[in-house]
Amino acid sequence: MQKILEKIQLDAWIAALGEWEILAPAMEDGIWGYHPLDGAVRLDHSNTTQPPKGLSFPQREVFFSFEQIKGEPPRLTQKMPAATRRAVFGVRPCDGAGAVRMDKVFSDHVADPYYQNRRKNLAYVGLACNKPQGSNCFCLSVGGSPVATEGMDVLMTDLGDRYFVTAVTETGKALMSAAAKVFTAPTAADKKLVEKTHADAVAQPQRAVNDVDAAPAKLKASFDSPLWEELARACIGCGVCTFLCPTCHCFDINDESTGSSPIKGNRVRTWDNCQFPDFTMHTSGHNPRESLGARLRQRVSHKFQYFPENFGMPQCTGCGRCISECSVGIDIINTVNKVTGHVG
Amino acid sequence: MSDNIYLPELARIAHIKEEIGGERAIKTFRVEPVEGDTFKHECGQCAMLSVFGRGEMMISIASSPLIKEYKQFSIMRVGRVSATFHELEVGDVIGIRGPYGNSFPLDDWKGKNLVFIGGGVGLAPIWPLITTALAQRADFKNITVFYGARSPRDLMYRAELERMRGDANIQLSVDKAEDGWKEFCGFVPANVLDKKPSPDNTIAITCGPPIMIKFVIENLSKLGFKDEQIYTTIENKMKCGLGKCGRCNVGKDYVCTKGPVYSWAQLKELPEEY
Ligand SMILES: Cc1cc2nc3c(=O)[nH]c(=O)nc-3n(C[C@H](O)[C@H](O)[C@H](O)COP(=O)(O)OP(=O)(O)OC[C@H]3O[C@@H](n4cnc5c(N)ncnc54)[C@H](O)[C@@H]3O)c2cc1C
Ligand code: SF4
Ligand code: SF4
Ligand code: FES
Repeated sequence: MQKILEKIQLDAWIAALGEWEILAPAMEDGIWGYHPLDGAVRLDHSNTTQPPKGLSFPQREVFFSFEQIKGEPPRLTQKMPAATRRAVFGVRPCDGAGAVRMDKVFSDHVADPYYQNRRKNLAYVGLACNKPQGSNCFCLSVGGSPVATEGMDVLMTDLGDRYFVTAVTETGKALMSAAAKVFTAPTAADKKLVEKTHADAVAQPQRAVNDVDAAPAKLKASFDSPLWEELARACIGCGVCTFLCPTCHCFDINDESTGSSPIKGNRVRTWDNCQFPDFTMHTSGHNPRESLGARLRQRVSHKFQYFPENFGMPQCTGCGRCISECSVGIDIINTVNKVTGHVG
Repeated sequence: MSDNIYLPELARIAHIKEEIGGERAIKTFRVEPVEGDTFKHECGQCAMLSVFGRGEMMISIASSPLIKEYKQFSIMRVGRVSATFHELEVGDVIGIRGPYGNSFPLDDWKGKNLVFIGGGVGLAPIWPLITTALAQRADFKNITVFYGARSPRDLMYRAELERMRGDANIQLSVDKAEDGWKEFCGFVPANVLDKKPSPDNTIAITCGPPIMIKFVIENLSKLGFKDEQIYTTIENKMKCGLGKCGRCNVGKDYVCTKGPVYSWAQLKELPEEY
């Protein structure tokens, strides 16, 4: 399904999606992310600082609460996410690709019910990038594209005063059908224009990871490279690079206690981070990834070696956030290129 | 079982035995389901145990799959959750989810000699294997158990080991000699080299502190054991047990799903991140 939507009709489309909660890029506490729509939708911002991953995998979530009198079975109350359908507008292709990777992690081996319950109610209405959103975009070199539909339910392309709107999934069709009258059929000229816009977008210069297909073997051969320590030396272990990454999924599980007699509290999942030393530290103090270099190697190798070995695609979608937001300039493109560049 | 992979079943502590006292005390807990049946497991698999309000920890299931009534766990007091476990009493109710991980291919080893080599609390993960093999004694040739700890007081499952003599060749050792100790004095790897188990038609299974495992494997190689004949387990920090939380990996493998059991031949292929 391909349609034209006049930009002034965007709010009318959204108004017709009464059964959906609508989220769109917005600034909250000084940070751009995806938030419930408050007023008119704005899609003119460049890519958000926070990817939409928190919508399916929140930074903190309660698995269940417990209440237990000593010696008796506890009462466990599961906290499954509510089945609200949410449509997220303005998602960029690198984040659509991020969702695809998150889906793999949370469905492989066994399905994660908390993730799945949120994800199955989420629809992504994407917006193609007519030009790179920032100087660190590199989607093209990691198998993506600024106009890719991967992970999207709908993809919109900005044609000036109109959007060219393509349904990618059945959910996408349903979203468009809910407001059939606000869309018009594209003319031959519209189709030509969108093709040209897409071709121009792909032709825009971007930074690049060299030969992503060869990276798994080259990284494997570079496990003991001294470059890891050298490149990681400046890292302050803040974890921003993974918290803002659309594909980083590591988490911790802890009990938050709210009372001791009876025992009361919540079992909680929170994001965790492979750049933190205690992430892998055993209780004995032994740490399989003791040094900054070992931890940088883990982050980079997970994305460009282990994940490709397990799932046949890199776990980096080229959004550039970990580069732009790192306060000490650790750059995943340079890291991959330097380390793999030393292997013939 | 519930579809919620994070929701534990409830189990009641039926029996507690103090194995070892001191700073790194070990207690063995038998737990029974509060209601109905619990999950089945295989030798080498683990379970995520929890004390509500304190958290979860991954512990090897230390009882044979042949025992259906209860599951056994031997827990060393080291940190937050394990210390709380040591305060629990018979009748207390805990959470348990699992089973996690792969298992030892015991069926493939029928007709062979088995040499078990354990150190410290590392006897627990191979205990189901030892007791299952002994319960099916006729299926195996010689069964030898090397087990060592710092001092005689630090040997766990002592009474059970003594009862096995006759069915199995039991070789105990302590790091430091004490009055009345008649068996080997020295580290476990040295005891193995001293007793020289034959590699012919034999599988060796070792579990214990990483440094012990390293030297045991070295010495087994000296005795002519091939990498494929040596099995061990690895312990990386775990939170989910489900290949999702991302912390237990060695290279591309999440130990919680692809391990913890590896042959030395398989382990050598992985980066040394354990
Ligand atoms: C496959 C496998 C098998 C194992 N088998 C056995 C076995 O048979 N027997 C045995 O004794 N051990 C075994 N272990 C080791 C055992 O899992 C650890 O000793 C245990 O997890 C230690 O937990 P702890 O809470 O006592 O230690 P801690 O180091 O205190 O804590 C562990 C976790 O608890 C949480 N935590 C701790 N302190 C705090 C705090 N202040 N606030 C919030 N959270 C906190 C953290 O999330 C931390 O990761 C095994 C490990 C693995 C991986
Ligand atoms: S953002 Fe930079 S400094 Fe912070 S953990 Fe990542 S690499 Fe290290
Ligand atoms: S690794 Fe960096 S560039 Fe790649 S997807 Fe994650 S945040 Fe974006
Ligand atoms: S324990 Fe979470 S991935 Fe293995």
